[in-house]
Parts: sequence; C-alpha cells; structure tokens
Amino acid sequence: MRKFISYLLQNFKEYLLLIILLVTSLTLLSQNDKKGIEKIRTFAFGNFAFVTASLNSLANIFVDNDELNQLRIQNAELMLEVNRLRNYALENHELRNLMNYKDTSSFPFVPAEVISKLISNTQHNFIINVGNKDSVYKGMGVINEKGLIGLISEAHSNFSMVRTIKNARLKIAVTNQRSGVSGIMTWDGTHLIIKNIPSNYDFQMGDRIVTSDFSTIMPPMVSVGIVTKKEITVSGQLSNIQVEPFVDLNKISDLFVLKIIPSKQIDSLQLNLMAQ
Amino acid sequence: MRYQDLILPILISIPLIIIQIVVVPFFSIDNIGPDLLLILVVYFAVKFGQINGLTVGFIIGMMFDLSSGGLLGSAMFSKTLAGFIAGYFHNETSVDTNLSTYNFSLIVLLCAIIDSATYSILGGSLVNLSTAALIINNGLFPGLYTSALSMPLFIFRSKRSFN
Repeated sequence: MRKFISYLLQNFKEYLLLIILLVTSLTLLSQNDKKGIEKIRTFAFGNFAFVTASLNSLANIFVDNDELNQLRIQNAELMLEVNRLRNYALENHELRNLMNYKDTSSFPFVPAEVISKLISNTQHNFIINVGNKDSVYKGMGVINEKGLIGLISEAHSNFSMVRTIKNARLKIAVTNQRSGVSGIMTWDGTHLIIKNIPSNYDFQMGDRIVTSDFSTIMPPMVSVGIVTKKEITVSGQLSNIQVEPFVDLNKISDLFVLKIIPSKQIDSLQLNLMAQ
Repeated sequence: MRYQDLILPILISIPLIIIQIVVVPFFSIDNIGPDLLLILVVYFAVKFGQINGLTVGFIIGMMFDLSSGGLLGSAMFSKTLAGFIAGYFHNETSVDTNLSTYNFSLIVLLCAIIDSATYSILGGSLVNLSTAALIINNGLFPGLYTSALSMPLFIFRSKRSFN
C-alpha cells in the first residue's frame, strides 16, 4: 500500500495536487454564503480596498477635487430639481384633467337666441330657437353669464318655451350662499320672494342667493340674486325674503340651456311645484 | 519546488492585483480586458513546471478572489487549472525558447481561453450562457487581449537574452 502511494506521489503528484486544489476551490466556492467565509472576504476586501483607495488618492493628488465635488453636488441638485419639475408637470396634468372633467360633465351648454318674449307680470316667458333636435327637453335650466333665467317649460323639435324667474308659476329651490339656509323662491308679480322663512334664520341684506343642492332641475351654485329686504309676517314667526335678480330679463337676447336631464321622480315633484 | 520560486510570484502578484483591479478596467472593451495575473501564472508555470504553476495559480487566484470581492474559489479554480495546463509546456531544455518567442503568447492564449471560460462559468452559474457566448465572448476575446498584452514580455525577454 505504501509502495502504491509512494508510486502515485512520485509519478502523479501533479495530478494529485491538481485534484486537491480544485476540490478545495470548489468547496470554498460552495461555502461562499457561510458566515465564516463572508467574514474573511469582508476583512480581506476591506483591507485591500483601503490600499487601493490610498493609491487612488495619491494618483488624484493633482486633480482639483474641490471643483469636482462642487460640480457633482450641482449635478445632483439639478437632477433633483428635474425630478421635482417632472412631478409638478404630472400633477399639473392630473389637475387639468380633473378640471376638464368637472367642466364638461357639470355644465354642458346649448347656446340659444331669444326669438320672442311674452312680457307679463305673472307670465313672463321666452321662446328660444333650440328644441328637441338640439337635445333640449322640458325641465332643463336656462342661464346666461350673469345668472339664472328660468327653465324650459315646453320643448318642440326646433323651439322651446322658457318660463323665466319672473313667472309666478315657477318655484325654485334656492340657498343663502353665506348662511346655507334654503327656501323656495317664487315671483309674486313685483319681486322675487322666498316665502315663509323662520324669522330666526340667518338672512341679511346683501346675501347672495344661489340655486340649492336640493334641486335636480338646476345645477347647484348658479347665481340668482341678492337679498334686498326681509319682511316679518304679522305673527312674527315667519318672514319673507325679497331678492333682486342679477339678470335683467328685459335686455336678454342670448342665453344657454343647461343640458342636464333631471331625475324623473324629483322632476315630477318640482313640476308639481311649478303647476301650483 | 523551492519556496523562493513561490514567494517571488506572490510578491509580484500584489501590485499586479492592484493594477488589475484599478487600472485594467479603463482599458477594457465591453467588459473584456486583459488578465495580467494569468500572464504571471503562465510565466512561472512554463519556467518552473506544473506543480509550481498550479500552486502559484491557486495562491494568486485566492488573493484575487479575496481582494476583488468576487466569489471565493472561482479564480482559484480557473487559475489553478490554467497553471496546470501551462505547466505542460515546461521543459528544462526549452524554457528560454518558450518564454522568449511567440510560443509564450500562444501558451498564454490557450490558458487564457480556458481560464476566462472557467471563471465565467463558476462566477456566473445562475446566468444562462450559450456555448457560443461562452467560447467567444468569455473565452476567445479575453484570451486574445491577454495574449496580445503578453507580447511585450517575451519581446523584452528575447532582447535581454540576445544582449
């Protein structure tokens, strides 16, 4: 046996050594994740990196590091600024999309012209040049740039009738924009009146009156007028609020129909109010 | 094998490892660069024989693995194998011929191809390398680069022996 081993060592020592070293290499290779090996690698790598860093600093002794560092800092700051601006651009894009969505979904307008006016203290109506062909139907609101005008009471194929706010048959749910108190506004033949408001409710001269959230015929927050007078009834418990409209109905020639189809059930209730 | 024959290459390998890690990357083309350590291993293997070559390859490979932060064992294996193959070209009567002529570059080319390919396989075992990529990109190109860089060594040595 000894002779055989000595024979191998003498004639194949290169191969034996090769096998030993290769097996050792492969064993170490498979042990790379072990903590002991990791510690050795970290120690060796750390020390060698210190040497290479020192050599690098010697090599860079003639390089102006201050200027380089300043430029690097400036570069990083510019990169961050670019990222910030990119974020702002994205936010701006999103906000613009949101605004467009709100605009197009809430206020689709149909422009129209007043063909004729029925002037009366109780039956103030307009006839306009848009109808069912223009997707205008009964119950739609009518406004102009100043505020509320009325609503479509009848719609034909090419024409429609507008019952204005100065028509006694029109009753609209409105809100005091400052205090949030709501009521029903109607035309009494001389003024727009919000009737039967409890006297302790907050209505003051100059308060802005807008359409109410409760109305499904008219979109909310459409300007109607301002409070000009508060009259307390004989009992003292209720009061009537007088409203001066923003719109001068006598001078109107162009207006817009709001293309909002109201809920049929609530619409019928409000139309009942109109019929009273 | 004498101890002096081991100490000298190890001492030379220390600055060579620094150059290999710090300077050579500047001259690499598409992650392909020369292997200075392999030239050293081949030189000592051709000059002193297989045992010396594979031992030097093993030690230098280990030093390189530890200093470069690579997988411990990958360069050890490939350099050991390269040193062993280079040792086949050791001949007492033709040492100067092999080290001072184009033979040296050819030996380096052969060993570099084997060394680079083996190192790629062991170091990137999770990467799916095709056979062609393994031979050409990770074997032949680095081998040619290393071989080209070994030319000044034998030219310098041949002039010196001529003088």
